[in-house]
Amino acid sequence: MMVLREKKQFIVFCLMYTFLIFWTSYSIELVIKTPSLGLASTSFFMALGVGIFLSLLYAWLIVRRNSKTIATLKCIGWTNKDINSLISGFILFTTFMGFFIIVEVLFHYAAFFVYINPTSPTVPLVNLLPVFVTFTIFLFFQILAILLANRKILKVRPIIALKRVGV
Amino acid sequence: MPVDKDTMIEAIDVNKEYRRSGAIIRALADINLTIKSGEFILIQGPTGCGKSTLLNVLSGIDLPDSGKIIFDGENIARAQEARLSKLRRQKIGFVFQDFNLIPTLTAIENISALLWPTVLREKEIENRAIAALRDVNLLERKDHYPVEMSGGEKQRCGLARAIIHRPRVILADEPTGNLDPESEKQVMDLLKQINKDMETTIIVVTHRGSLASYANKIVKMDKGAIINIK
Repeated sequence: MMVLREKKQFIVFCLMYTFLIFWTSYSIELVIKTPSLGLASTSFFMALGVGIFLSLLYAWLIVRRNSKTIATLKCIGWTNKDINSLISGFILFTTFMGFFIIVEVLFHYAAFFVYINPTSPTVPLVNLLPVFVTFTIFLFFQILAILLANRKILKVRPIIALKRVGV
Repeated sequence: MPVDKDTMIEAIDVNKEYRRSGAIIRALADINLTIKSGEFILIQGPTGCGKSTLLNVLSGIDLPDSGKIIFDGENIARAQEARLSKLRRQKIGFVFQDFNLIPTLTAIENISALLWPTVLREKEIENRAIAALRDVNLLERKDHYPVEMSGGEKQRCGLARAIIHRPRVILADEPTGNLDPESEKQVMDLLKQINKDMETTIIVVTHRGSLASYANKIVKMDKGAIINIK
């Protein structure tokens, strides 16, 4: 619920994940079809690099933007574990939504071409296998992002929730 | 007057220092203070006298450099963060000067948030939140976001959040600092009502002398030390 109310941040990152999952899946598809070290594999590794950077950036941004909320939650009795669960939920939900959007788009793409030309065999834009492989890779990135977020959460002191720190 | 007069919080020889730009500032100097259950206490003093630091130390939000804080029979001066979180969730309610409501949650969700990590069912949490909103006369605002509420309403929402779990102690750091006189009276009357009806110990940090009539004990501080208790 909380992640959906952070509309701007959620939509931006969800769409970026969608694009990245497509990019990585498409690169994997190309690598499988043309197994040579070339443009396809370069594209694949670039997508992975951007993916890991974006995952860590998202985790960092969530904790940074919500540091006062995190401190307040600590003040009112939330443990670090409770807050970690909340932030992990933020991160994983966004990734899952990105995955579902790309699967939806691929299904609709295939369905559209079957609809306009039912007799010819439909070639999917990307097969589902590379999409699932990509999703597994991205889940691994999210674990790294969650670990980073957990470290940042530990550093947020409840005293930040109070306006005047110290004397 | 509250019936129970057992010791709720006891500060024994508490000291706290800060380092600021190379200089050492003594925020708390040999503080000894006993707070009985059911008391309404005002901590007063000029800016920078250490009153907020004392409040933070009493609640386990900040740790003293030396001394003991006995909270409901338990020394929390060296307690682990997880233990302190549990203590705050069970026994302490916080009221902040700038409300600290989560902007993306409605009033009822802000109040319920305190109980989300507990084993209580959603319906039970909602019922408690509604009861807390009714206690602070804010039920009609339950689905409003903080941005849609006035300062006084936000603070009453914060107060509802502080009482949803029926704490033993409510700690308020300048709770009326951002309020107009009318809202200030509403909030202070509510704190007094909670103190009377629930026998909750109330500790309010303020620099406003006009609030003295609400308290049954006033602690005056200056330069990190308690200079007077009456």
